[in-house]
Amino acid sequence: MRPKVAFFDFTCCEGCQLDTLNIEGQDLVDLVSAIDIVEFREVATGKADRYDIAFVEGSITRESEIPRLKDIRERADIVIALGACAHIGGINCLKNHLPMDEALEIVYGDDAKYYDTIPARPIHAVIPVDFSVPGCPINTAELLRIVKELLLGKTPALPNYPVCVECKMAGNVCVFERGGSCLGPVIRGGCNAVCVTAGRHCWGCRGLVDDPNLDSQKDVLTKYGLTVEQVVEKFKIYNTYTEVAQ
Amino acid sequence: MREHSVLVVDDEPIVRESIRDWLTEAGYRVTTAETGEEALELVAARDFSVLVVDLRLPGSTGLKVLEAVKSERPWIRTIVITAYPSAETAQEARRLGAIDYMLKPFAPDDLERLINDTLASIPPEATVIGEAEAPVAAVPVAEAIEVKETFVVDRDGLRRLFDGLAATMQTIGVVEKQGRYVFARVDEFDDLCLNYDVTAHPPTRYLFPARETVLKMDLGESPTTEPISEATPQVLFGVHPYDIQAIELLDEVFLTKHSDPNYISRRQSTVIVGVDCLRPSPHAFAPSMGTDRADTGFDLLLTDLGDRFMVRVGSQRGADLLAEHTEASAPSDKEIATQKALLDAARDQYEVTLNVARERLPKLLEDRYHDEYWEERSATCLSCGSCIMVCPTCFCFDVVDEVALDLKTGERIRRWDGCMLTDFAVVAGGENFRHDKASRFRHRIFRKGKYVLERYGMVGCVGCGRCKTACLADIASPAEAFNAIAEKAKIETARRLIGKASPDAGLYAPRPAKLLRVEELAANEKVFELAFEDGSALGHDPGQFVEVSILGIGEAPISISSSPTRGDTFELAVRNVGNVTRALHNLKKGATVGIRGPFGNGFPIEALEWKDLLLVAGGIGLFPLRSLIQYVLDRRDRFGRVTILCGTRSPQERMFEAELAEWAAIENVEYHETVDRGDDTWKGHVGVITTLIPELEISPAKTMSVVVGPPIMYRFVIGELKKKGLADEQIVMSLERRMKCGVGKCGHCQINGVYACQEGPVFTLAELRSLREAV
Repeated sequence: MRPKVAFFDFTCCEGCQLDTLNIEGQDLVDLVSAIDIVEFREVATGKADRYDIAFVEGSITRESEIPRLKDIRERADIVIALGACAHIGGINCLKNHLPMDEALEIVYGDDAKYYDTIPARPIHAVIPVDFSVPGCPINTAELLRIVKELLLGKTPALPNYPVCVECKMAGNVCVFERGGSCLGPVIRGGCNAVCVTAGRHCWGCRGLVDDPNLDSQKDVLTKYGLTVEQVVEKFKIYNTYTEVAQ
Repeated sequence: MREHSVLVVDDEPIVRESIRDWLTEAGYRVTTAETGEEALELVAARDFSVLVVDLRLPGSTGLKVLEAVKSERPWIRTIVITAYPSAETAQEARRLGAIDYMLKPFAPDDLERLINDTLASIPPEATVIGEAEAPVAAVPVAEAIEVKETFVVDRDGLRRLFDGLAATMQTIGVVEKQGRYVFARVDEFDDLCLNYDVTAHPPTRYLFPARETVLKMDLGESPTTEPISEATPQVLFGVHPYDIQAIELLDEVFLTKHSDPNYISRRQSTVIVGVDCLRPSPHAFAPSMGTDRADTGFDLLLTDLGDRFMVRVGSQRGADLLAEHTEASAPSDKEIATQKALLDAARDQYEVTLNVARERLPKLLEDRYHDEYWEERSATCLSCGSCIMVCPTCFCFDVVDEVALDLKTGERIRRWDGCMLTDFAVVAGGENFRHDKASRFRHRIFRKGKYVLERYGMVGCVGCGRCKTACLADIASPAEAFNAIAEKAKIETARRLIGKASPDAGLYAPRPAKLLRVEELAANEKVFELAFEDGSALGHDPGQFVEVSILGIGEAPISISSSPTRGDTFELAVRNVGNVTRALHNLKKGATVGIRGPFGNGFPIEALEWKDLLLVAGGIGLFPLRSLIQYVLDRRDRFGRVTILCGTRSPQERMFEAELAEWAAIENVEYHETVDRGDDTWKGHVGVITTLIPELEISPAKTMSVVVGPPIMYRFVIGELKKKGLADEQIVMSLERRMKCGVGKCGHCQINGVYACQEGPVFTLAELRSLREAV
């Protein structure tokens, strides 16, 4: 029997679901024949009582999202965080550095009184999460790998080495040697260092490795010319929640 | 299966009978003979397929027997065995048509396999037709690469070589990228950089890529796999000598023993054109590692002389390519001088050097395993793996399965992995065997300075300096670690060796001991009971030995025959075989002899306690083993079942007969004795000692066996013990060696790297497996 799979979104840009739909050619054909997609707002209407696998995109930023997420958890055997917002809170958590009133004010101005908001958080802060597909956006090859491993009865695991490993495998010249700065040494690999390979640097969207040496990484960043404030800003972009939680 | 007859000729009964028993068990008809004459009579009278003959026989030698058999019965396959090998006899045996030359002792399986292979190779008619085949000549394993001629080409000549290669294979060379140099596909000669300092990544990735498929898999009903090894012909153009040496290490790792198909296919389709490094990187220390120049490992090696290139030919393929694609001339004396000046000037430019000879690194590191340096220096390690990912001598990898979405097919992938990454040594239960940064950091430095060198005989670090450049925390340079450790060792050595040394004045001075009792054991053996004149005890453990001094004659190592549980005196049982023992045998009660010791490790009492013991003594092996037997009997409650096996050549040669009778009478001791040859007086078992073992009932899981006897006995007894299911760790032996000083200095007793007087003379079989000189 094909597993019943559903996709849900909370506070996010829905880019990760969009990328899922961007899986091309035979892979997409094989994927939809391997699983039974019972809910996916971006492509179909419909509702099911139970899910074998629920993919959840987005972070939690409003009280009203909490019961909805808990309901999904109750109806799903496996919950998988899809993308940085669900996985580590992502950029939504940048607002957590402000008082919530001020954040509402900045975004909605005079209409702020019509909205409520709470500090943003990843879904694991609200419900137990079984697995995660990190990234902003996700690496669809990794999503497919995790689906295949679940179908095979294997426990999916994320790489626990930093971005540097795949960056070196890709043959890149180190960002620091090029005069830039990069979060690669403490950020979880699995993205094939796509940003560095494309000429940029690592922003940290996949979250920290299990045992990051943050002190040393901050020393390195300051050694390479960043101020303490700049170092903190760099970490804030995707890892505010993790940083605050620590 | 055809039944083949084997004739075994050996004058040593234990060898003869053991081989007979093994081969009989393996299904052969076996006949034995003690002498060459007896063997020849048997050969004349009966049919044999295989002859196993000892080289040294009373009367006719094994080679004479072989010669005679070959002329009379050329179809008989002969295997020569000997405990005294020499190149001459091996050559002679082969000349006479022996199919193999085996060193005694050997394992039953080896002999059986050899005989099986031999018989399988005989064509059915061979025994009828006669003429034995000549032994197969060894197949050459590699083309000769000692070409090493040097030529000169100009820039255009080199361009023609490059273009010629580019026409038939992928050309990989060095180009600039983002301020660094990298190896990449280079199609145009003019894009090629031959004057770089170091590349960001080593060229080894073109032989051992970051990720490759090793198997294609079909996961269906009947799963199948198909090995995949793909390679495109390629030339690595402009490889520095240190990287060439790194490739030679990878060759050693991947080509020898379990040769790796993926590496081989790439390596065989790769041409290596090296170039000398005239502009060293500021972090490199190749001269200190002996890697700034290369003598082997390349097809061609260039030196850039400015407008021309010196080209050294390193292989036949290199010579052929050079001849095919370009015109090269012989270098002038001036060009040779220019090349030397350039290379010497380059060597002077290295800014980093080791302050210690690289040969000393293994020992220095070993002594500093627990140093706080590893913890301190690794504190800032990011565990990012950059150091190992840019290392030309790193070759560790992980293997993962990747399946298609239909879950029916897939690939098994190998990809780089390495010891600096947090999870490298994690097992499924979650245990991480190198869980902290310090142990991972130390492991990498040990690989670079010690483990790789010891395992493969080549330096584990080629001093390229890439890791130092790549390491953001700036802790990765092996040169820094090696120098730091050497510096610490230097300070400590000066303090320990010279400053705080306290001489042991009595090290070589024997202590006087009195002979309290002298008793004849057999024709040539006596036992001496001694006590120190100052009343002190020897303080020995069972299995240790002493150096016995007869002043004016010399010293000899003698094992202690009595247990420390038997009071303050001690006994030495001694066979009269040399000057010291003869002099000792001539002494009477009351005389004084010198004693140094006790020395050596003794039997591993802790490992023997609470176990069943199987104690096996052959001949005068009883002398040292008696100390343990007495000890065990005196502390009987600390041991499980005790079985004693004693073997002697003949009833006349039995010793300690009264004591043996006591042991036989003890209720909770199983005692068996045998003699090789019986006589009218002997009512007991006859046969070599190995014949006692098959009958024993032992629990392999909780049994320790201690075996002491003449060298020839060990392998045969071990063969029987292995059949009983004992592991190598459960078999303990005491070895005889020439232990002259007893204190680990003189070198006479060395067995490979081990000193028998220090780490021995007692070893487990597991320990001996790595000591090739041992048995």
